Formats: sequence, structure tokens, C-alpha cells
Amino acid sequence: MHSSRITPYLYVAPLVALLLFVFGYPLVRIFEFSFKMVRGIDGPWIGFRNYELVLTQSLFWESVLHNIYLLLAVPFMVGWSLIISVILYERLKGWRLYRIVLFLPYILAIPIIAVIVKKMFQFNGPVNEVLRWIGFDFLALDWIGSSDVALWTVMLLIIWRESALGIILFLARLLSLDESLIESAKIEGANWWQRLWFVIVPQMKIVIEFYIVVSVITILSAVFAYVFVIGGGRGGPGTSTMVVEFYIFNALIRSSLPGIASAVSVMLFLVSLLLIVPLFAIRRRANEEEVR
Amino acid sequence: MAALARPRPDQALKHAILIAATLIALAPTIFMILTSLKTSEEYTFNKVGPPENPVLEHFHTVLFDSGFIGWMVNSTILVVGAVALSTVVSCLGAYAIARMKFAGRGMLFAVSTALMAVPPVVMIVPLFVLYTQLSLISTYQGAILIYAGLITPFSVYLLTSFFRTLPQEIFESARIDGAGDLLILWKIVLPLSLPPLLTLVVVNALYVWNDLLIAIIFLQDDAKRTLMAGINVFQGRYGDQIPLTMAGMVFASAPMIILYVAFQRYFIQGLMAGSIK
Amino acid sequence: MTRQPGFSRRQVLKTAAGVAAGAATMNFAQRMAQAQSPELNMWWWGEQELPGLQSYVDDSVKGYTAATVKPMLQDTAVVISQFQTAAAAGKAPDIQFLWNGIYHMESVWLGYLRPLDGLIPDDIIKASNPTLLSRFGGKTYRVGWYPLPMIWIYNKDLFDKAGLDADNPPKTWDEFLNACDKMKAAGIAPVGGGIQDGYWGEWYFGHALAQNVDSAGEVIQLFTGERDFRDPKYHEHWVKLEELKKKDFLNSEMPSTDLYSGIDLIVAGKVGAGLSIASRLPKDSKTTNGRIGTMVMPVYGKGKLAGRPIFDSQGLGISAGSTNPEAAAKFLEYLQSADRLKAMYDKTGWIPSSTNFDVSVIEDPAVRDMWQKWGLSPNIPYLSNLVPGQFYEQALLPTAQQVIGGKITGAEAGDLAADVAKQWRDFNPDVVENYKKWAADLGG
Repeated sequence: MHSSRITPYLYVAPLVALLLFVFGYPLVRIFEFSFKMVRGIDGPWIGFRNYELVLTQSLFWESVLHNIYLLLAVPFMVGWSLIISVILYERLKGWRLYRIVLFLPYILAIPIIAVIVKKMFQFNGPVNEVLRWIGFDFLALDWIGSSDVALWTVMLLIIWRESALGIILFLARLLSLDESLIESAKIEGANWWQRLWFVIVPQMKIVIEFYIVVSVITILSAVFAYVFVIGGGRGGPGTSTMVVEFYIFNALIRSSLPGIASAVSVMLFLVSLLLIVPLFAIRRRANEEEVR
Repeated sequence: MAALARPRPDQALKHAILIAATLIALAPTIFMILTSLKTSEEYTFNKVGPPENPVLEHFHTVLFDSGFIGWMVNSTILVVGAVALSTVVSCLGAYAIARMKFAGRGMLFAVSTALMAVPPVVMIVPLFVLYTQLSLISTYQGAILIYAGLITPFSVYLLTSFFRTLPQEIFESARIDGAGDLLILWKIVLPLSLPPLLTLVVVNALYVWNDLLIAIIFLQDDAKRTLMAGINVFQGRYGDQIPLTMAGMVFASAPMIILYVAFQRYFIQGLMAGSIK
Repeated sequence: MTRQPGFSRRQVLKTAAGVAAGAATMNFAQRMAQAQSPELNMWWWGEQELPGLQSYVDDSVKGYTAATVKPMLQDTAVVISQFQTAAAAGKAPDIQFLWNGIYHMESVWLGYLRPLDGLIPDDIIKASNPTLLSRFGGKTYRVGWYPLPMIWIYNKDLFDKAGLDADNPPKTWDEFLNACDKMKAAGIAPVGGGIQDGYWGEWYFGHALAQNVDSAGEVIQLFTGERDFRDPKYHEHWVKLEELKKKDFLNSEMPSTDLYSGIDLIVAGKVGAGLSIASRLPKDSKTTNGRIGTMVMPVYGKGKLAGRPIFDSQGLGISAGSTNPEAAAKFLEYLQSADRLKAMYDKTGWIPSSTNFDVSVIEDPAVRDMWQKWGLSPNIPYLSNLVPGQFYEQALLPTAQQVIGGKITGAEAGDLAADVAKQWRDFNPDVVENYKKWAADLGG
């Protein structure tokens, strides 16, 4: 009586219904909308016209480019996280306290932190005041007001926050390492850098790969809150912090062009599909590693 | 332990790096707190240092003359609703996937897991159009449904993985005692699954609490605004009064900072497990 | 806890069932009251820019007996999309808040709004000044609610300090540049504000483009392709902006400051002059003890609209889907009654949009003078309200930011604007046709 044929389906029915509603339905409709000139809630079929318009528009490519620029943050995030986590791993005095504090950026909500950073980085704000005071006037840029700099300010903020995750991930992996390897390397006379490079990093390969893929996904598809606040709700100054997510938001909400928004959504979806494969390959390997 | 921690000259350098990293991590928080205690006048000439005459007036304004309390209530309603809905749905689903045999099981798990990497922004266009047709814009239930959906793939993934690690014997002995699936899930599996459940609650609650995208599109009524959307309104209105803005940010970030300090183990584990989102 | 999914489903069904099911949640007494008077939904916006409006709306709704009006305050980001999508689904409110110009004209073209002619007496519509931009096909679609005269302000103390005549602000561009020179010499940032959030570019466009055009219809033709932003007279305003930047007249924090924080700089005596909006004047005038002066943008252009005060109004309209437009019209008429006009002033401290409003109530002479000039004398509409949304996002706001940031010249701004106007035509072929028709109402 405990497992009739339909029981499993009763258990998964709510799950399937929820996923169909929130993912299934929209994923079907964006394809449909992307081939229509949608005005309000529907419109006539227009073939590939939406794609043609988007793909020939400089603003779209500029948005894509900005996402790609932001990917430059990833090496910095990996490097910084690696250095800090390895130092933490040496269990210096107070390392647990350091760990708690260093993870704090990841706890703070992006809209909150972005508002704070925006005020700190105003042209006549505290950051520039400090820079001028220590004689680094050339660095006292117009961090959020200049279209040359604003995207890099966003990137700085992304590095600052997302590195916190890297530090914790890497540290967790380090703490599960076999310490005897490191000990024997030390006995054989390897110095700190040699031990890091030849003993520690190879063993962290998978977690580093995982972190890279996760960061790439984040930067391609989850930076809306950063640019919404830093870019003054506009992707500004100029169009310098416009990213793909924001392009979709603008097309839907501000320009009332759901068809255009859908065409870009479709493309973003297809790109994210490409990333899912490596992500889960790595995840599986990571799990195997944990088990071993 | 402490195998590497013999005192050596480069220890000082490492400490210096850690202290620098800590300062960078804390700088915005310190700036926020110090500034919130200054008057607007003081801020114009003292942007960096500690306040000379700390004042609490901005907190008064935040508490009584802005919508913060209401925004927090809204965010709390959404968090509780979405996390509860998603947890129930995921427990049932994950239990079936991990412990029952049925056609399409592998497929369901693979698809559900893959959905974790789909950007939420991809879903908004059709949902926005649909919600307007159904008058679900600016309703709690509408937003809760979306949030619950967005966090469920991760919940299913985590719970299924965990349920699979539970030893077969406990299920068999329960069956022999005549327990049905629901009873096994409720009395045996869930009590054993408290750590992953807590992890889930932390990750999912933080996701809903911190979201801005869904909040500004689907909750447009002032009375339904969430904390994150409210912050944006708040800084728009008081953006020129930086100390007041910072008092608002202190107030807005306090709940999560307090919870983090109290439950940091779960936060750290949870966010590591949920790092894909 | 397990009841959660059921709860959500029920709610979905309930909302789908519409008004009848909604009424089921009300108590008996409310339902009785409702049976006798029609129910009107009103979606509105404005508390965000005019604090106190909420209290005015609540008060007006409470004091109105001919219908039960249910107001809902909308969020800035979605005022238009929410209404349009609702109208398409047949769920539009009876009364809708409408920004001027294109912000409601698209809804007119989609057939979502009802002309007010015949529903509300002409003299009341006229007195409320919905402006020329609210006309299409010879019909008017809004009644004015509260006015937004677009003004330039200057700080009289700083004018004094620089040896300028604080009671006679510069009228021509040359006089203005002269004044800027003097202010700069006196160590004052002469002109500016804040443009981090972009809106400053919209305001500037509205003031400056007017100088080289003869009618609002001429501006429409810049978008339909009959005229071109690359023509020097249609981007001279950006060239003038470039001039201010090159002469170092703009305040240094302008790029990293938001619009309203930027106006605060003028009020606080840190910047000499700049753009503002008249609804801020009562407060700013009070803060400075009347030391904020108002002026029209100094004139360089030769168009018929140059040097004229700019008047814009926020308005209310009636949706085409309203089942009781007469009742909705009556409510709008009621909002224009002497009692309600006075109530708006009492609750918000700001003037209602009506030439019938009793000016003697206004205490501050600076505000009264401004209203005489901008509200009660011949004025021109605010041309930025003709700009299509896509152009607004991709050209109007970014170009001014880029010119002020020194990234592009005024002429390059014209090129960029021409490109984006072309893109807009490609993306919205259906709207272009309507723009062409609209030009006829605007004297194109």
C-alpha cells in the first residue's frame, strides 16, 4: 500500500506545477514573443525582425561588451581569493575572526552596498578626499560620474563582494586537504611559493574551476542590482554601465517593447544553457572528490 | 594542528595582508555607521573621520518618517511565504526523486537542476504580461509564487542529494513497522535533514530578501514595496542628505548582519552550497 | 504550512473572477453602500514628486459621495507599462494618471483612453491647462491635475557676491556667459546641478531645443525623419552645453550628483544658476528667505518658441474600458472645484493646475510672481514630452551626460541623436505613422 504506482507522481506534482509555471511557461513564451511585434499583451508575427533589429543595434552590442568587460573581474577575484584563503589556512592567530569578517560583504544586500559605495565614490566624496590627502590626486577619478570609469567602479564592487564567496569556498577546500603532503613538501625544502604552486593549487583545481564558472554566470546574468543603483537606474552615465539584463528590463518596462525584450531573453537563455554543461560537469567531479 | 604556524618573519607580512583585506571588507560598513551618526553639516567638512558629536536624529527620521518598517514587513511576508512554499514542494519532490522509482525521474532531476543556471531576467517578460492579465501584479501571492519557483531548483538539488545519502536500513525498518511514505518523510527523514534544511532556509531567505529585479517589476504598489526596492526610493528622495541615507542603510542591513553573526556557520555553509545562485 | 499552495491557487481564482469575488471579501455594510454608488478605480502617481498628494487624494476620495473611488499609488518605473498592459487585458482602471505628451499619447493611439470632450465641460478642461501636447485628432485626453512650470533658478546671494544685478537676471546667452565669467572670477561654480541619474539632460533639452523651433510639430518631425538632428540648428543646444563645459562653467561634482541633489547645490549657495522645477520653488524660496530667483533660459536661438516660459502639467484621464465614464468625469470635475483646488494647496503646499485657482492664497511673493509668469501668461509646452521612450533612454539622457563628461562634442551628440531616431523608426514602424498624424495637432 505504501507505494502504489501513482504515489510518486502525487509527490512530484506540486514541484512540476511550480516549475512549469515559473520556468516552463515563460521559456516557451519568450520564443513566441521574440517572433512577434508585441504591443501590450500580443501582436502580429514578424519573423526574425526583432532579432534583426537587436543584432544591428549598437546599444545591444555595447551592452554585451560591458558584460564581457566585467568578466575581467574573474581573474582578480580568483587571485585575491586564493591569496587570502591560503593565508587564512595557515591558521594565523585570530583566523576564525578574520573569516567571519571577510565573508561579510557577501551577506550585505547588493542594493544596500551599492548605495553606500555610490556615496563613498562621489567626486567630492570620502574616497577621493582620502586619495587627495595622501597625495594620490591622479587617482581621484570621477568614479560614478564619468562614463570612462563607472563600469570599472561597478567591477571593483563586484570583485569586492564576490571575492568573499571565493575566499570561503577555497578555504573550505583547503581545510579538507591532506596536510601530510604539505608537510612532506616542507621537509623536502620547498618554500612557501613552491608549496602553494606545486602542492596546494593542483589539489584545488576543481573548486577553482567551479568558482570561475559560477562567477561567469553571475556576471552574465545577475548584475542587475549593481548597475541599477550605480548607473543611476539608467545604465549611465551615458550608456556606460548598460548590460544585457538591463537592456531587457529597459525594453520591457521603459520602451514597452516586450517582443524586443523577449528576443534578447532568448539569446541570454541560450548562452546560459551553454554554461550549464561545464557547470554540472565540474559539480559532479567536485562531489566525487568530496566522497573520496 | 597548527602545523604551519611557527613564528617566522613573513608572519608579519601575512598579518598585514589579512588586516588590509579585513579593512577593505569592512570599509563600507564602517563608513555607513560613522556617517549615520553625523549631522549633514558635519558631513560636509568631515567625510572620513569619526563623528565629533554623534547624533541619533537620522535614525528617528528613518524609523518614523519613512516607509522602512512597512518595507521590512513586506519583505518578511515574501520571505516567509516563498521559503515555506518552496520548502514544502521541494521536500515532497526531492523525497520522491531520491527514494521512489518512477518514469521520468532522472529527467525531472536533471531539468530541475539545470534550471538553477537560468537567469531570472529571462522569465520576466511573459510573467509580467501574464500577471497583468490575471491582476497579479502587486500582490503578495503573485510575487511569492515567482520567488518560490526561482529558489526551488536549488532546494530540490540539495535535498535530493542529501536524501540519497540516508542509509537504506532506516527506510526498510520503518516500512516493516507499517509506516507510509508521508509518515516516513515527516517523522524520520525531515528530523535527520535539519542541517540541509537550515542551509536551505538561509540561502533562500537571503535570496528573496536581497532581490531587486523581481521586486521592482512585480510589486509596483507603494504599499507592497520590499525593502530593497524601498531603499532605492529612499535614496532617491534623501540622496542629498548622505548621513540620513546611511542611517537608512544601517537600519536596512541590521537584520541580516545580526542573523549572520548569530548563525554564521549556517550562513557560510549555506551560501557555499548555494553559490550558483 | 502544507496549505500554502492551495492558498495561492485560491487567490488566483479569486482575482480572475473579478469584481464579484472581490466584493465577497467586503463586509455587508460596505457592499450595501456600494450598491448605491458606482465604484471607480483610480491609478495615480505623484506622491513621489509632490509629498502630501497622497493625503490630498485620500481626503478627496473620502469627501466624495457620488461614487466610491479606490485609489492606488503606482511606482515610477511602471506607470505607463502597467496601465497599457492592464488596458490590453481589459483591466484598466477608470481613472488613470497621465504624464503629458508621448507618455499618454501611445495609450491614445492604442485606443486605451477616451477623449474628454463632451464628458467634462470645455471651460474646465481649458482652465486646467492639459497643454497642447494632450491633443490628438482635435480631441483632448487629459485634464490638468498639478502644474510643473519648467524654470531656471539662480542664487541671488551669489549674484550679489559676483557683482551681478540679482533682480535682473541675464536674458540673452551672451549676457549669461558674461555673468558666468564674473561668477567664476568670484570663485563660484557658475552653472550646473547634477546629472548622474540622467534626468538633467531631459530638462535641458526641453528648455534649449525650444529656442530653435517654431512649433511643437517641428520637433515631432525630428523623429519621423522629416527633419534631422544633424542640422546644426537642431543640435545647437548640445553645442551650447559643450561651450559651458569647455569654459569650465559647470560645477565639478555635476557628473556624480543626482538631479535633485544638484538643485540643492544652487539653493545651498554652491552653484550660481541652473535648471529647476517650479514645484520645488516654495520650499527652496523659504529655505533661502526668498533668495532664489526664477528666469527663463537665456536666449541664443531664433525660433518662435525662444524665450517663452515653459509650462507642463501632470494630468488625469479616463480609460476607454471604463464602464462608467460619466461617473469618472464627474469625479475629475469635482477635483477641479474651488474647494478641491484649495485643498490641494493646503495638503501639498503646491498650486493646483487651474487658472481658476485663487492666487491670493499664495503667501510667498516669489512663488506668486512665478505663477503669474509661467502659469497665467501665454506659455509653451514642454518639448521633452514629445520624445519617444527609446530615444529618451538611448539618446536624450546619455548625450547630455556624454557632452558634460567631455566625451563627445555637441555636433557628435547630434549624430548620435539622429542614429537613435532612425533606430526608433525601425523598431516602431506603427508608432511613426501616429507621430506623423500627431504633428498636425501640434502645428507641424
